Amino acid sequence: MKTKELDFAYKLRHALDQSASDLPTKTAERLASARNIALSRKKQESAVHVVAPQVAFAGRSAGSSSPKLFAWISRAGLVIPLAALVFGLMGIYQFEQRQQIIESAAIDAEVLTDDLPLSAYLDNGFGAFLAKGED
Amino acid sequence: MATDKELSDFLADVERRAFKQALYAVRKEESALDVVQDAMIKLAEKYGDKPAAELPMLFQRILQNTIRDYFRREKVRSSWISLFSSFGNKQEDQENFDAMDMVEAEEGSYGAETGLGRLERKQVLQLIETEVQNLPARQREAFLMRYWQDLNVAETATAMGCSEGSVKTHCSRATHTLAQALKAKGIYL
Repeated sequence: MKTKELDFAYKLRHALDQSASDLPTKTAERLASARNIALSRKKQESAVHVVAPQVAFAGRSAGSSSPKLFAWISRAGLVIPLAALVFGLMGIYQFEQRQQIIESAAIDAEVLTDDLPLSAYLDNGFGAFLAKGED
Repeated sequence: MATDKELSDFLADVERRAFKQALYAVRKEESALDVVQDAMIKLAEKYGDKPAAELPMLFQRILQNTIRDYFRREKVRSSWISLFSSFGNKQEDQENFDAMDMVEAEEGSYGAETGLGRLERKQVLQLIETEVQNLPARQREAFLMRYWQDLNVAETATAMGCSEGSVKTHCSRATHTLAQALKAKGIYL
């Protein structure tokens, strides 16, 4: 970028800085409170997993088990619908295949059991087919 | 990992500029404050364990996404509003609605004026802000991230999800547009 452009950009930056520093107190307070809310929800460094013996009492869950349980439930919340979808699709595929076999079997049965139309005997091709079958 | 103090200092340093950045995009003070708050919370919740050096780029990316989410929500809301208002006679009012009118009204509330010099300076700053606000969205994003938030070209490109070449083009165009617009209003920086 040319020096002139850069110089202009930094003058604009200065103007924008002046404007930002001149915010009303109410707005500045709101921003500070937003910052505090954000800080209170800061993600902590992932805790090091330490294997420690724990005593579980009846009717009282061990301290760290509930976050793990929630994590497992939230993961299951995604996995279960996916598994259901896969099984559903497999079921539909199997059902369709079966229906197709039944339909073609019904057609075959009808063709085999139906009376032969007279026009078939007039067809030279059919006659040749029958002769070939006899051989 | 950024310590609590580092994160706090970073947010304190960036919050005013982020607010203005959001205000230039959404043009409503309350909405801009909400956008900044959401972006701060998302940064702290999801990236609070990242090194302090990565925070500026991450925050900018989150801020831009939050602004885009705001516009998506507004689009859905306005389509519902226009659907319902078409049953009444208020459609004409909506057509005559100009967001810029609102911005000017809101900006009038900034600070009490004392002295002619201060008034003039304030007016010039307002004109500059209006011109920045009027830039095409991508140009404004690139310009503000690059020159106001001090991100380098690569960081700006990552935050905007585009190439470094595009960032340079957006910045250059934004600078030209602003220079011409301000010159037309008799402002020489």
